[in-house]
Amino acid sequence: MNHPEEADILKVENLNVRYGDFHAVKNISFSVKRGEIFGLLGPNGAGKTSTLSVLEGLLKPDSGIVIVDGFPAHKNSLRARASMGVQLQSTSFQPELTVSQILQLYAGIYGVSMSDENLSAILKDINLDDASTKKFSQLSGGQQQRVSLVIATIHNPRLVLLDEPTTGLDPQSRRQLWERIEAIREKGHAVLLTTHSMEEAEAVCDRIGIIDRGQVITIDTPQALIEKHKNDPEVIRVSRRGKITLEDVFIALTGTAIRV
Amino acid sequence: METIIPKTSTVLLSLLRADYRTQWSNRRSVVLSVLVPAVILISWKDIVDKIGGAFALSTCITVGLMSIGLMGYSNSIARDRDKGVFQRLRVAPVPSWTIMVSRLLVQLTMILIVTLAVFIVGYYFDHITISPGGYALAFLAALVGGAVYLSLGQVIVGLIKNPETIQSTTRLVYFAFIMIGMLGEFGILGKELQQDVHWSPYGVVKSLLSASLQPGQWKSETLTTLAITISYSLAFATLGIRWFKWNSR
Repeated sequence: MNHPEEADILKVENLNVRYGDFHAVKNISFSVKRGEIFGLLGPNGAGKTSTLSVLEGLLKPDSGIVIVDGFPAHKNSLRARASMGVQLQSTSFQPELTVSQILQLYAGIYGVSMSDENLSAILKDINLDDASTKKFSQLSGGQQQRVSLVIATIHNPRLVLLDEPTTGLDPQSRRQLWERIEAIREKGHAVLLTTHSMEEAEAVCDRIGIIDRGQVITIDTPQALIEKHKNDPEVIRVSRRGKITLEDVFIALTGTAIRV
Repeated sequence: METIIPKTSTVLLSLLRADYRTQWSNRRSVVLSVLVPAVILISWKDIVDKIGGAFALSTCITVGLMSIGLMGYSNSIARDRDKGVFQRLRVAPVPSWTIMVSRLLVQLTMILIVTLAVFIVGYYFDHITISPGGYALAFLAALVGGAVYLSLGQVIVGLIKNPETIQSTTRLVYFAFIMIGMLGEFGILGKELQQDVHWSPYGVVKSLLSASLQPGQWKSETLTTLAITISYSLAFATLGIRWFKWNSR
């Protein structure tokens, strides 16, 4: 049932997540197409992590449907997980394992055969050919993110989920990671990423979904969002530099109050 | 781009390879699991004739099993859960049970290594010799007894989320088991406690091992001990699995 090229790779319909009395995700629906980078933005506590946890299979929703590459995740979770690659926000691997051992582990887990040549090629591609015997904890933040990203795509998945992939990176590493994410798109993968960086969302994402208080407020391209809201009085009020940015639109839509 | 669902056997093999590598990197903890029983065994050199070889070996293997289940297993699970290692594995197409089975298989190997080490120390330092059948049965009994402490470790990581609290709790339980178990068994803490210790997780594992080392003396009470040992494992495992959360947050 692998679907044709134009089909949505990820489809989320009427998703609801509750923690006791707290309704964290309220009827969220969106889709991500093949070859698209979709950004899920929202302030802290907006419901991004809960939504992503459901997609990753770590959290069971109260209701709603998640379809990955044509397969309902609730009915066939293994196939859904095999169709996606995931980079978690705080990815950690066994600290005793070296970079090449971690790659071998995940290649095995995803059913990918990994010869020594393949391993060397992958390490060379992420500029870590000298670090194959280093332990993950010995790598810099940028190097760790590159390893995490290569593991997320080691099985050539149709959908890649990236949870705040550039948090804590210096500008050089961030730029490099953006290029890698764009390269993933070029290969035809669909990418869903969450980020707090509006600069990143504007630079990388084809479409953006802004969620707040568990609900999707708007979904559009970054430029269309700016264009649509540039004359809103609230957007003009929060604008700091005269030129309306995605961040101004985001703050105007989600409010200026700091969320915990 | 074809979606591949890996075979469970392939997944399990990959996990096992990684877990054995991790264990190999932590060989110091294995040495520590062997060290305490070895020190006890060597220090008993002069009284082995009085207390009996089976008593000495079974006590020391029990101490080693406690160390593996309570200190080694539970602390490694607590650390990896806290660091998000399990969450990373669980977003892959991996049945959750394979993650735990792989960890447990590594611990069962550790149990066999510690048991073997105790036999070697007992032979060289205390000149304790057991029949081949006794050795074979004792290895099996060590696996059954080790399951009690592994599942008890599972209960602790099920009840407590913070890895530091788990570490201090497991140490406390480990030392309490050794002190109350050994002193109680010798009758130093009173007759009533001696009886309680006999049917405690410490007592039944030790008795099972002791009986296994002397297959000729296997009696109906040993079967009761075996049944209670298995019951402890099942009860602890049920609670430990039910309470366990993959995420510490």
